[in-house]
This record gives sequence, structure tokens and C-alpha cells, in this order.
Amino acid sequence: MSTSLVFLIVVAIGVVGYFLGRQRALSKDSGSVKLHSLPHYHGWWVFLASALPAILFLAVWAAATSLYLERTAISELPARTADTVIASQSLELGMVSGIARGLNKLSSEEKANLPQTFAELRPLLSAKGVALAQDGQDYMIPIAVEWNKNSVRANTIGGVIALALAVAGAIFGLSGVHVRARARNNVERIILGALLAASTIAILTTVGIILSMLFQTMTFFQSVSPAGFFFGTVWDPRFAAAGAEGSQGQFGLIPLLGGTIYIAFVAMLFAVPVGLFSAIYMAEYASPRVRSVVKPLLEVLAGIPTIVYGFFALVTVGPFLRDLSAALSGGYAFIQAQSVLTAGIVMGVMLIPFVSSLSDDIITAVPGSLRDGSLGLGSTRSETIRRVVLPAALPGIVGALLLTASRAIGETMIVVLAAGVAANININPFDAMTTITVKIVNQLTGDLEFNSPQTLVAFALGLTLFFITLAMNIFALYIVRKYREQYE
Amino acid sequence: MNLMTERNLEKAVNDKMNAQPNAIKMQGKEVTVHYGDKQALFGVSLDVPEKMVTALIGPSGCGKSTFLRSLNRMNDTIEGCKIGGKITLDDEDIYNPKIDVVELRARVGMVFQKPNPFPKSIFENVAYGPRIHGLAKNRQQLDEIVEKSLRRASLFDEVKDRLHEAGTGLSGGQQQRLCIARAIAVSPEVILMDEPCSALDPIATAKVEELIDELRQNYTIVIVTHSMQQAARVSQRTAMFHLGNLVEVGDTEMMFTNPTEKRTQDYITGRFG
Repeated sequence: MSTSLVFLIVVAIGVVGYFLGRQRALSKDSGSVKLHSLPHYHGWWVFLASALPAILFLAVWAAATSLYLERTAISELPARTADTVIASQSLELGMVSGIARGLNKLSSEEKANLPQTFAELRPLLSAKGVALAQDGQDYMIPIAVEWNKNSVRANTIGGVIALALAVAGAIFGLSGVHVRARARNNVERIILGALLAASTIAILTTVGIILSMLFQTMTFFQSVSPAGFFFGTVWDPRFAAAGAEGSQGQFGLIPLLGGTIYIAFVAMLFAVPVGLFSAIYMAEYASPRVRSVVKPLLEVLAGIPTIVYGFFALVTVGPFLRDLSAALSGGYAFIQAQSVLTAGIVMGVMLIPFVSSLSDDIITAVPGSLRDGSLGLGSTRSETIRRVVLPAALPGIVGALLLTASRAIGETMIVVLAAGVAANININPFDAMTTITVKIVNQLTGDLEFNSPQTLVAFALGLTLFFITLAMNIFALYIVRKYREQYE
Repeated sequence: MNLMTERNLEKAVNDKMNAQPNAIKMQGKEVTVHYGDKQALFGVSLDVPEKMVTALIGPSGCGKSTFLRSLNRMNDTIEGCKIGGKITLDDEDIYNPKIDVVELRARVGMVFQKPNPFPKSIFENVAYGPRIHGLAKNRQQLDEIVEKSLRRASLFDEVKDRLHEAGTGLSGGQQQRLCIARAIAVSPEVILMDEPCSALDPIATAKVEELIDELRQNYTIVIVTHSMQQAARVSQRTAMFHLGNLVEVGDTEMMFTNPTEKRTQDYITGRFG
């Protein structure tokens, strides 16, 4: 009995329960006493009471089953010695489950006289469309057979329990149907639970991400001192040959952090005035017709994938700036094609819609009565904006700018293509610098194992970046919230 | 007419007896206003005499606020608003393209329905207009203007110790008097008030009304109000609007005791509106 079939039957029981419950509620409606809940609420309550526990049980059972199967298989595998052919136990386990899956496709006749060696089994399975790795071992076959037996047994037990749960739930739900039963409130509670579960998943995922980075980072800090990482000014992670001693490399965060902040700063320098002015134009001056055309157009900019901005920087803006500088100086290109300026400008373009859209909302939220008050005193529009609207909107705008800045700091694709990879500390915006995100990409690109500081450093960098942007977001949200209290 | 207290009646009679024929400060001739396709005013002609309080009354949606807002061209800020006819201030057409709207609004100030102090200090709220128009040459003069305006708005004694605290922290009635002080600070000739007491409690309302009565010594005031009693208490002339038309205009005393139009009588006695 497969899990999906059990699932369908459980749902079918629930649906039948729905109709029975509704029917029962209708029959209880004598007319003298009003039903507490509408009949369909009784139906839904029966449905949920029968299907929900059974489905939850199936999910838990499936997880437990796969854990149980692996444990059993591991205990049956021969003890690992120095001359075990397969590199790791997890690889062995993977092969066993692969064979087990393949065996399920064989007919019962073929199963009866199963070949005893892997060399014979492999062509048989590949004829059925199951591709297996070459170095499978003979001893895996009985384990795979055992695996399948256990699997079938576990599924049967689980399926029976689930169906029993579904039937019991339906009976429980149906027995509860009477005139004053509060089916409506029960359904409400379950909806609340579902919504709560959804948001819990989002939060737990965040926690999971942090934890996974945290553990890798701790491994990294076992080989590199935190002081050397956070305060080091040299970034030189030598990719040493495996096993080579003495060439640790240096993992100084400062040049990367410097580049990140510098590029983000140039980007903000470009995006803030343009974005803010266009927001003011749209919120205060544009007629509804202009606004309805310009605003979506501006927001299209936000929908362009950042890798496309990266191309734009790489093939258009970078060469243009380089040629321009060459023309200006008469031959010597003092702006490199990959430079802080290139990355900053293109990132700035990317940020414009964020700045303008967020600021536009905030400026529009300033009550119109303040504008009227100022205009009624005989001030011009720009005086009103400068002296009343912007001061009132300032906290919100600062919050919006912080949110935008944290985006700039976390931005990856543009800087990978446009900023360069040289980890320099300098203040010349025409030179290449690199960022934290670029180095994360560099350290993780290629065929690597996560056991050397050269790769683990990526997690330390990621965690640092995460905390920087998290701090900025929290601060921004704090400011935005404080601002909202003023008017709502 | 039980709407008027004896004291008010007496005062109105005195006003009448002492009244010089006041000069016309503002004049509307056949004023029409369209909001998009919808017409809100159908040819209203109304004189606003100098240094008097003129009350505009009538049921909701009758066009009285629209007329008020066209007196200092605040309707210009509303999308799709078109104005016809002629409105003059001291015999000067305020819809003449050569007129500077900003200057006009400095001469014809406005107080709004809901108190709308800027999110600044009390001092800065009042100093806002004088700063913009450069009315004070130095800090001392600015201080004087602010104090004088606050005194005229009978607010100074209540706030003199906390001039640099937020204007939004005052009570509703104080906020409205702050807005009046803010309007006075630019020395307007006319002050327009759009239901200035509708968001206030009775005690705050009484204070604002008292203030309006004092202000007419120096300013020409036009007030829109929903309250008959308020119109009777504070105004010398009353104009009754209905469905975008001016029904009747006359001395307040006469309007409340002996209206010529039946619609006015019905409205002030509460039979409709």
C-alpha cells in the first residue's frame, strides 16, 4: 500500500465525512432551536477531524520510516576497514537504496531468481531504465532486498494506522454534530493554527540558516583566529594542494568590508538623489495620468534580474567609462573597466526604484492637511515640500534609505561582474576593489570540499554579512515604526 | 427665535446700531465651480464686508466650503477643478493670471476643519509664515511676532513656558488656536475658517468663538459652520447655501429672526439639512 494511495483514501474519507456531517447537521435543524453553526461548518469540522490527524501522522511516519530503513541498512553493512572500496558510508547507503528502488521495478518472477552478483544485476536493472553506479558490491543485494521488505512492512503498518485514524476522526466529528455544537469556532481555531504554522516555518527556516552558517563558521575559526579574520588587513587565501602544510593563507576581512562599504556608498550617492527627487516629483507634482505611467515604468527597473545589470556594467558602462577616461587624459585610461565607480553606478541604477518607491509611499503618507496648512499660509510648493513635508517624512525616508543600503551591501551579481576580484584597500574609486559577496562566490566556485579554511571562510563571510544587514534592517524597521506612530 | 440668547440678541442690536456701512473687502460675482464633470457652484454672487464675520451656512454638500476655498484659490490644489465668474479682493480680480497665488494666500489666510499643526515646535509653527515671507528682520522681531500672534489667539498664557515643545502635543482646542495664531502671524487681511470648531469639544469651541469675536476688530473673517447657534453667536452677516446656490444673504439678526426664504427658515429651524 503506497503512501500516496493512503493519502488519497484519507482525503476521500474526509470528503465523505464532510457530506455526512453537513447532512447530519441539516437533519438536526428542527426549526425550534437555531443551529449554532451553518451546516457546511459542521461538514468542514468532520472533514478536518478525520483528514488532518491522519495526514499529519502519515508525514511523521514517512520521516520515521526512512530513518528506520537507513539505520537497519547501516547495521547490516559490513564493518568498514582500510580496504573498503567505497569511499564513505553515506555513499554505500546511497547505492543500497538505489538498488532497492531498482528491485521494485522487477517482475515477481525476476525477483524469485534474483542474480547473486552485482555484475549480473546491473544489466538487468539498466534494461528496466535504472542506472546504477559501476562499483556496487555483491553484499549490497541482500541488504537491498531486506530494505524493500522493511519498507513494505512499515508502509502497511503506517497506512493501516492512518486509515484507522481517519475513520475514528470522522466518527468523532460526526458524533459531535448537534444543534448547539460550535463547529464554526472549531474551524476558526484550526485556520488560526494553519496560519500560525506557516509563519513558524518562515521563522524556523531563518533560524536554520543561521545555525548552519554558525557551525561551519565555528569550524573555520578552529583553524583561523577570529582576531586575524575580523581585523586582518590582508586577504590572501592560498589554495594549497591537499595535505600541504604551512601555507595557511591570510583571511583579513577589512579589505573586503572596505570594498563592500565603498561600493555601496558610491551606489547610494548615485541612487539617493535620483530616487528621492523622482519620488518627490511623483508624490507632489505629477498629475495622476503621468504618475500612472511613470511609476510602473520605474518599478520595472526593480524587476530586472541583477545579473542583467551585471552584464550592462561589464559590456557597456565599464568600457564606456574606461574609454571616456582615456579620451579625457589623452591616452591613459585612469578608470579601469572593472572599478568601484562602474559597480557603484550600475548598482545605483538598480537601487533607484527601491529608493523612489519606498520614499514615494512615505511622502504620500504625510497627511494632506499639512500641505493645505502650509499652502494656505502662502508658501510655494517647493517651500511646503522642503519645510513641512520632508521634515515630517524624514524618519521614514531614513528608514527606507537604510533598507536600501542593506540591499546594496548584500548585492552580489553586479559586483561579481563589475567590481573586480582584487582585494585592495584604497580610496581611488577608479580602481578595482572587491566585496564580501564576490569573495563568497570565489571561494565556493569549483570542485571543493567543505573542510579547508579556504572554503569555510565563505561561511564566516556570509555570517558577517548577514549580521551587518540584519542590524541595518532592524534599525531601519525601528525607525519606520517610530515614524508610523506619529500619524496613525 | 429661541436659537438666539438674549445676550446675543442685545449684542446684535447694538452692532446694528453702531454699524457703519462697512466697505466691501471681497466680492464674488456669478462664481461657478466644477470638479471634473460635476458642478458644485451655480453662479454665486456674494459680498464680504470688511472687518465683519460672515458666516456661510447650509446642509452638507451645498457648496459653502467650495466657495470659501475659492476665495484664496485653495481649490487650485484639487485636480480637475475649474472656476468661472469673478472674485475680487479690494476690487482686484484674484483669478487674473497676473496675480501671484502665493501672495494672495498670504493676504487671505485659512484655518482648516481639523487642527493641522506642523510636526514642529509651537514657536516654529507660528514662525513658519513670517520666516517664509521674510516678515522679521532678526530673531527679536520674530519673537515679537510669535508672541503677539499667540496673544491674539489667546494661547500665549497657556503655552508660554513650552514654546519649544511639539505643537502636536497640545489639546485639540489649543491646536486649533495655534493654527489661528499661525494664520494671524503673516498679518492677513482676510481669514477664512472652514468649520474651525467641528473637531472640538464645547469648552474649546466657546474659546475659539470668543477669539473670532475679538479678531473681527482687525480682520475680515469668513466662516463656514454647521452649527446654527455658532453662526448666530459669532457672525454679523449670514449667507445660506443650498445645492450649490446662494439662497439668501443678509444681516445675521435678520436671517435668524425673519428670513425671507422658506428654505432658510426650514433649515435654521432644523426641518431639513
